[in-house]
Amino acid sequence: MSDISIQAVTKRFPNGFEALKGIHVAIKPGSFTIILGPSGAGKSTLLRLMNGLETPTSGSVHIGGEVVNGKQLRRIRSKVAMVFQQFNLIDRLSVVTNVLTGRLAHRSWVGSVFYLFRNEDMGIAQEALSRVALTDKAWNRADKLSGGQQQRVGIARALAQRPKIILADEPVASLDPVSSEEIMTLLRDICDRDGITVVVNLHQVELARRFADRIIGMNSGKIVFDGSPAQMTQTALHTIYQREGIENDNSLDMALAYA
Amino acid sequence: MTLLKSKLVASLSKTLPPRPRSPVPVWLALTLALLWMIVYDLELSFETLAYGLADMGEYFSRYGKPDFTDLSRYVHLMGITLATALWGTVFALVVAFFLAPLAARNFAPNVVIYRIARELLNFMRAMPDLLLALIFVTALGLGPLPGALALGVHTAGFLGKFFAESLERVDKGVCDGVASTGANFAQMVMYAGWPSILREALGNVLYILDRNVRMASVLGLVGAGGIGLALHDTLRLFEYGQSAALILVILATILLIDYASAWLRKRLD
Amino acid sequence: MTTVSTWRWPTPSGRLPLPLVGSVLALLLTLWLTAPIVEVDFVRLFASGGKMLAFAGQMFVTPDWAYVPQLLAKMLETMEMTVLATAIAVVISIPLGVLAARNATPHVVVYRLSRDLLSLMRALPELVWALVFVSAVGLGPLPGVMALAFVTVGFMGKFFAESIEVVDHKAVEGVRAHGAGWLQVRLFAMLPQALPDFVGTVMYILDHNLRAAAILGLVGAGGIGYDLVMSMRLFQYERLLLIALAIYLVVTALDRASDSFRRRILNGIKQ
Repeated sequence: MSDISIQAVTKRFPNGFEALKGIHVAIKPGSFTIILGPSGAGKSTLLRLMNGLETPTSGSVHIGGEVVNGKQLRRIRSKVAMVFQQFNLIDRLSVVTNVLTGRLAHRSWVGSVFYLFRNEDMGIAQEALSRVALTDKAWNRADKLSGGQQQRVGIARALAQRPKIILADEPVASLDPVSSEEIMTLLRDICDRDGITVVVNLHQVELARRFADRIIGMNSGKIVFDGSPAQMTQTALHTIYQREGIENDNSLDMALAYA
Repeated sequence: MTLLKSKLVASLSKTLPPRPRSPVPVWLALTLALLWMIVYDLELSFETLAYGLADMGEYFSRYGKPDFTDLSRYVHLMGITLATALWGTVFALVVAFFLAPLAARNFAPNVVIYRIARELLNFMRAMPDLLLALIFVTALGLGPLPGALALGVHTAGFLGKFFAESLERVDKGVCDGVASTGANFAQMVMYAGWPSILREALGNVLYILDRNVRMASVLGLVGAGGIGLALHDTLRLFEYGQSAALILVILATILLIDYASAWLRKRLD
Repeated sequence: MTTVSTWRWPTPSGRLPLPLVGSVLALLLTLWLTAPIVEVDFVRLFASGGKMLAFAGQMFVTPDWAYVPQLLAKMLETMEMTVLATAIAVVISIPLGVLAARNATPHVVVYRLSRDLLSLMRALPELVWALVFVSAVGLGPLPGVMALAFVTVGFMGKFFAESIEVVDHKAVEGVRAHGAGWLQVRLFAMLPQALPDFVGTVMYILDHNLRAAAILGLVGAGGIGYDLVMSMRLFQYERLLLIALAIYLVVTALDRASDSFRRRILNGIKQ
């Protein structure tokens, strides 16, 4: 039960900016999807709808048949992990503790409030860390790692959730090309080996071509392309990245919406 | 061409555009007027002040010979005062620990709880500790306990506000990161909240401890134990030697606490 | 089925770090040892809960409306004391702050002396100074204003000195290079940079002084404090309610005012 279904979703922010305009998306379990598009296209908003960090103004978001809302939110989030552009780790805590936060929704909260975890959770965390090849940095403070390493911790945290779905919001935008390559390979490997559905936001076209099964192109809150990398011709790229003069430039509105 | 020439002529003119009106002189005049009115209303006469200042030289000389015969009793009283301050601070810390996340807009479960928590903290801050001490003395009788409680409640308001403001400044990304794993309120607070503000929070606690030592010294005046009452008595009986000794004991202790907390702060950095 | 041994902390050893455990134990030990000194008795606390509620119940009586004019007069006096004392303190702490700033002081000895003087001035709480000044000049708002101003100079002088010490020295050098005299350098290069932060502190100090002024009356130094204590001692709850309410309203109003002032005007100065 890890298919994502987004139906007729519109998202309007309090300042009036309409980030998404009537979006329909269905993502199959186990697939590797990349969302491509210019800044302000609505990629981030779309992704954040999938784990409830944003709520739609109209329309509905379902994961595995359940609405992403209300009482199920916590349960759904435990199965949907997210990897962020700015890593979003807790700086002064150790790598291990950061990875362990992935287990927070899975047990009763009584122990975790005191930073107590069960041995099985530690085991899962260690497994995740070895999967991203960071076992030797386990006890370092999270902010003492390089960008690429911190993102791997972010992925380890996601893995620790034993998720059905991993969402990655511009995971490589803050990284150098070599680290970007590592991270995308890691994500692809996780999808292939563990059968986890992966949805990634990117703006690097080359990476999209090389790693995606399916590319969804967005522009100004609408989906303008949906197909395989092979189908993404130059014309298609133009549609995705076009800007029709200043009136259609959304990046300023987008920045203000999150202000 | 004539247009350009006239523009050039204008730019060569030696006069500056008129200076924008500054509001400062108006505010200054208003403030001075206000102060003058206050002096008049309070019936403060410079005569009494002048006489007072002249007398004060002579007056302060009476404190010149501190009388330390009762020193052990003073130190004991100061010890009670310090203990009162410590308990008050710990109590404030416990209350603030639970209230502050509820009073932080980004952590509070909903707006209603947020507003109530904020108002509660404001209320605790607004009530002077002396008034609280009086109330607690009525309920619990004389002694240091009502003093500790009064300090605790009052400074819980301050500490809670400081903590809440620090929590509201936590990076939204970090909060998103923990929230995306499905954490509940308590887990958000413990993982995204407190670790992010630990340094500021400890600084705030030290500041409050410092403040409570000062306040504890005077709470004795309302029967809430400690050294304040002794000072009040000696002054009323015009025992200047003993008053001087008491003041010096209080002064020494406060300076000691100041140094200790500054040292602790440096160590934590 | 789980037993305690399956839980662990996220450290290499599975146990909590020693310094943390040590300091917490030390604190708990200190609290336990000082409990009898402070007469902390949780039984007594809970027992008195009933008394507290009864007291709260007694508070809800018909207010003594006839007292309102006097209440307003006393509250006004309290506010006036606050403003006057703060204003006097501002005037004194600016030159004193200059003397106590390492980069603005005329001589190292002056710097040391000023710093120590400021330290002493803020060491004792206002009420202690009020006691002393009442003893010296008699009852009334004058000793209250003096005590407040005295302690405030201690805080503001130190804060102002620290603001001066962090001014951009390039601006200072620029003014000095044009042949500005000792006083001019301070007036035109240092003070304008240090003043914006100072304004923020004044707001905070006003807030603090209002609360302090409200209780100085306890020792006869003017303001609402005397009425407050007396109404408590004489069990005049009809007055106490009004007094507590008045204090709460005024303090909260100033709180909100200084918050919004800080946000609006300070952002304007800092651009």
